Amino acid sequence: MDRDASAVLDTFPKWLAHQARSRPERPGMRHKDLGIWTEWSWADVARNVRAYALGLMAHGLQRGDKVAIIGNNRPKLYWSMMAAQSVGAIPVPVYADSVAEEMAYVLEHAEVKFACVQDQEQVDKILSVSDRLQNLAFVFYDEPRGLRAYDHARLQAIGEVIAQGEALILADPEANRRLDAEIARGNGDDISVILYTSGTTGRSKGVMLSAGRCIAAARDTVAFDGITDRDNVLAYLPLAWVGDHYLNYAQALIAGFCINCPESPETAVEDRREVGNTYAFAPPRVFEGMLTRIMIRMEDASWLKRKLFHYYMGVAKKWGEKILDGKPVPALARLNYAIGHLLVYGPLKNVMGLTTVRVGYTAGEAIGPELFSFFRSIGLNLKQLYGQTEAFLFVTCQKDDGVRADCVGPATPNVEIRIADDGEVLYKSPGQFVGYFKDPDKTAETMTPDGFVKTGDAGFFEKDGQLRIIDRAKDVGRLRSGALFSPKYIENKLKFFPNIREAVAFGQGEDFVTCFLNIDITAVGNWAERNNVSYGSYQELAGHPQVYDILAGHVAEVNRQLAEEPLMANAQIHRFLILHKELDADDGELTRTQKVRRGFIADRYGALVTALYDGSKEANISTEVTFEDGRKGVIAARVKVMDAKVVPPVALPQAAE
Amino acid sequence: MLYNVLIDPFVQMAGAPDLFVQTIWEGLVAGVLYALIALGFVLIFKASGVFNFAQGMMVVFAALTLVGLHEKGVPAWAALLLTLGVMAILAIAVERVVLRPLVNQPDIILFMATFGLTFIIIGLGEFIFGGEPKQMIAEELGLPQGTMRFDVLGGKVLIQKIDVAAAVIASLMIAALALFFQYTRIGRALRAVADSHKAALSVGISLNQIWVIVWFAAGIVALITGIMWGARSDVSFALQVIALKALPVLILGGFTSIPGAIVGGLIIGIGEKLAEFYWGPLVGGGIENWVAFVIALIFLMVRPQGLFGDKIIERI
Amino acid sequence: MAETSTLSPGEIMLKVENVSLRFGGVKAITDVSFDIQKGEIRAIIGPNGAGKTSMLNVINGFYHPQDGTITYKGATRAKMKPYVAASQGIARTFQNVALFKGMSTLDNIMVGRTLKMKSNFFWQVFRHGPAMTEEIAHRRHVEEIIDFLEIEHIRKVPVGKLPYGLQKRVELGRALAMEPELLLLDEPMAGMNLEEKEDMCRFILDVKEQYGTTIALIEHDMGVVMDLSDRVVVLEYGRKIADGTPDEVKANQAVIDAYLGVAH
Repeated sequence: MDRDASAVLDTFPKWLAHQARSRPERPGMRHKDLGIWTEWSWADVARNVRAYALGLMAHGLQRGDKVAIIGNNRPKLYWSMMAAQSVGAIPVPVYADSVAEEMAYVLEHAEVKFACVQDQEQVDKILSVSDRLQNLAFVFYDEPRGLRAYDHARLQAIGEVIAQGEALILADPEANRRLDAEIARGNGDDISVILYTSGTTGRSKGVMLSAGRCIAAARDTVAFDGITDRDNVLAYLPLAWVGDHYLNYAQALIAGFCINCPESPETAVEDRREVGNTYAFAPPRVFEGMLTRIMIRMEDASWLKRKLFHYYMGVAKKWGEKILDGKPVPALARLNYAIGHLLVYGPLKNVMGLTTVRVGYTAGEAIGPELFSFFRSIGLNLKQLYGQTEAFLFVTCQKDDGVRADCVGPATPNVEIRIADDGEVLYKSPGQFVGYFKDPDKTAETMTPDGFVKTGDAGFFEKDGQLRIIDRAKDVGRLRSGALFSPKYIENKLKFFPNIREAVAFGQGEDFVTCFLNIDITAVGNWAERNNVSYGSYQELAGHPQVYDILAGHVAEVNRQLAEEPLMANAQIHRFLILHKELDADDGELTRTQKVRRGFIADRYGALVTALYDGSKEANISTEVTFEDGRKGVIAARVKVMDAKVVPPVALPQAAE
Repeated sequence: MLYNVLIDPFVQMAGAPDLFVQTIWEGLVAGVLYALIALGFVLIFKASGVFNFAQGMMVVFAALTLVGLHEKGVPAWAALLLTLGVMAILAIAVERVVLRPLVNQPDIILFMATFGLTFIIIGLGEFIFGGEPKQMIAEELGLPQGTMRFDVLGGKVLIQKIDVAAAVIASLMIAALALFFQYTRIGRALRAVADSHKAALSVGISLNQIWVIVWFAAGIVALITGIMWGARSDVSFALQVIALKALPVLILGGFTSIPGAIVGGLIIGIGEKLAEFYWGPLVGGGIENWVAFVIALIFLMVRPQGLFGDKIIERI
Repeated sequence: MAETSTLSPGEIMLKVENVSLRFGGVKAITDVSFDIQKGEIRAIIGPNGAGKTSMLNVINGFYHPQDGTITYKGATRAKMKPYVAASQGIARTFQNVALFKGMSTLDNIMVGRTLKMKSNFFWQVFRHGPAMTEEIAHRRHVEEIIDFLEIEHIRKVPVGKLPYGLQKRVELGRALAMEPELLLLDEPMAGMNLEEKEDMCRFILDVKEQYGTTIALIEHDMGVVMDLSDRVVVLEYGRKIADGTPDEVKANQAVIDAYLGVAH
């Protein structure tokens, strides 16, 4: 891109026009529909968005209005964002799997005027709470199925809005000029988008990001990873999450690469393989899922395949990461690795749709070192980044040659990081937010007087300049003895076992650490099948004595690891239990980004926490659960509590103080 | 003794690699023909669950009809087309007379019915074309004659051109069948019937029509097998014993798998030629006729469902 | 292909009159009469062994009743073969799922198009010309059904490997591929969890709305029956004991007795 032009490219609609001018024929978007990839060039995208924007204006959309975007990754929903921004309106993407109540809060708080949604499911949710949404004037939908009989007074298909816009352009030569004027009126100080953070505590907050800052941040990382219009992404992350808005939406508009929308969330892996994505992001749990599936398939594979797999995984473990990092490796090992690539790593990457990935990122949670190494050793350039919505994603990220599992890398270009006295990580970044929507108090609380943003995470810099995150700053606690206790640190260690899906540790102000565990139904279910353990439900499997024994082994192993770390040696797990139900975002136990809400869980399962500390062997619990349609039900169970094997601290016994 | 069984044959193989290659080739050609016969079985077994004892006889009958028609003055290519027509009529007749009245009867009844069918076909064949061996009209059909010599590993390997043609034609037919099964409406319907009769009926597939088609397909396979096998020896009722060889092939490959029939056929073909040539002398020769069954028996103990057969899983 | 129905909504599509079915000495159905109107969802309920599945089997020609008549789209049928029933627009699913387990989801649904495909054996063999064009057109139709039922992710998976709930969905897809005028569903939600049941309910209602298909279904979940159906016929020991709207049936004393009688 030429420098002069880019000087005025301070909003996304201007970038869209730029892409349509400079690479009109290049693919801008693809969507797999009815089994076939449909493609729109950048010129097509721009044409559709312009017509759409005019259609929205005709419906009364004005500068500053809020437009909710709800659904899976669909071209028409991305166009909705672009069209809204073209008029100077502000898109507010909302998590598509939110229940009606959560959705109502966001829509009400953001005062949305229009909602652009995917399908009937979302329309139904909005209609069910529409009496609370005073500002809502229109709902537009992508898929008409099931909506035929609905009252269309305030409901219309997005396709029709675009058609109206096209008709306007034909009928009125001034229409194009009016739209150009609106786009030109936009500038870098405009609020470009409001992203509601799922918030590990309390109500979600609307993070306002300005156009200029979004673009500045995205340009830095596009340069950092050398992203071009030849790259390809598969957009499967939730639209409402900063990761999607940054990695797919913003970077695609800046670099001009193609956003590929999967057929459905379940087909992501196959679709990824088909489009040959080159730039990929996935949270650790996605990588974990892939590895679990591979391991299960290997258990069922023939003897020869298993042997081959294990042998070459050994080779990869020894040499893979060294080869990836460009370190010296003996020629013979290199050759063997190449054979392994042919026989094992290549097919594996192909199955997971990672063959063409040039740059892969993971973030959001700590990733297990084994898991991280596995993917790197088979030749995937997987790196970690650390970021948050308030920063418009990037705070730190790893360079290609500076990757390690336990750290998240040095500051991203143009980002300044400072560690506060209490260990909290503070930053100042080019993309940082303008403030929380309608919440100046919270905004002030989050900022330092000199303009740094508080992350709420505790961390420190390693000797090589990489940031290491320990835990949420407010979660780093102490046991009654004064010994340091970091629940997340312990939970992550537990979650590295494939059998454990979720863990919640307690111990603040107590004598010892205890925890709740969730089994991973895929991994444990597979184990059960292989060992002829029959079970009828999740609850039954979770309460199975043999399952308890297996997890007791895992807990003991974590204790052994903790015992080796002087700071953590006294925070070993003394007692644990396996929860009778999976923690679920629908029940408020996880955030929409699948992080545990510890306080909420402690309240909800108070009886169980008590049982962990009062020495009882069993405890009764009954909990209310929410089904997808919003109905409630009650699950009751009797949960066993088990003592864990505690290991005496290695080396120095009195390490804590 | 142990030396003679375990070591000497391999020494011989290494010592005269040209002979070894020749043996493998012989086995390969025999294997292709076994595979074809097994294929006929599999087609019918998959679609109707009938173990068609008459498949071997169909081979003879097809070959006899072809040669017989030619003897009566019909040009070779016309005779070929007429024979195809006869196989189609046979398929229709079998469906009408045997399968339709016996629908929903136990498998053993249907098996016995095909047993009876065998004798009807033998009788019919003898009645029309007489019982004496005949010469296959390979040349008239345009199949290549003569032999080719190759220098291999310091020796000479003799290859009959007709064998090459047999291998090529068989491969083409198998590929065509596979495509047909995979991608066409009728192919899909055939697979559907093989999977569930009830469901196939509910979507409007006519079982009777499907049976006619598979029996006709098996008839075509039989005709090609008959031509190829007949060209290597005579066309006579003695040919039907090769149908027995299909049994070990099927045990090896699985009764429901087309790839299984092919791989099984090749293994048996090559296996028995190697056994005959290298181990046969130890027991005075002639083991070619039974070694296939020994291989099958061993296999039956290790993997009863065959190489590619549906896995037999019994869940508690 | 079945001639397109000239019936308008509310007219009688299928009429069962005095049907009796016996297996040897066992009476499966005794003198049952009821009708199904175009465009409605008609539920057949009753305790186990009431003859509900036998009734469906009679309608689609698997069983031939000893007595009684069946009038479908104005024509009174004598002995009907499943092939004929299918070609006249009657599709069905089965209580215990009858799929082609070795074939993929896509192929299973494609098989549902068999009757709609016309190209002859010759073109089929060469997979060319008309057969190819036809294959593409039908594939598109099948893809729409896959999209409709939200089963894109299992398009190429052999159905034998799928969980039960998805198998039921594929089976519905195969029936829909026949573009039926009358769809018979035998316990479409049996063995499903709550979420899957809700999905299936939605699909059934959408089928009715989008394609105007007439649906007869057997179901045990009374909540589902009452929500979905326009009219309900109740069988017990092979006899009809009630017939009417869900509310009427719910209030019927014979029905209450029948259900209390077998309540566990």
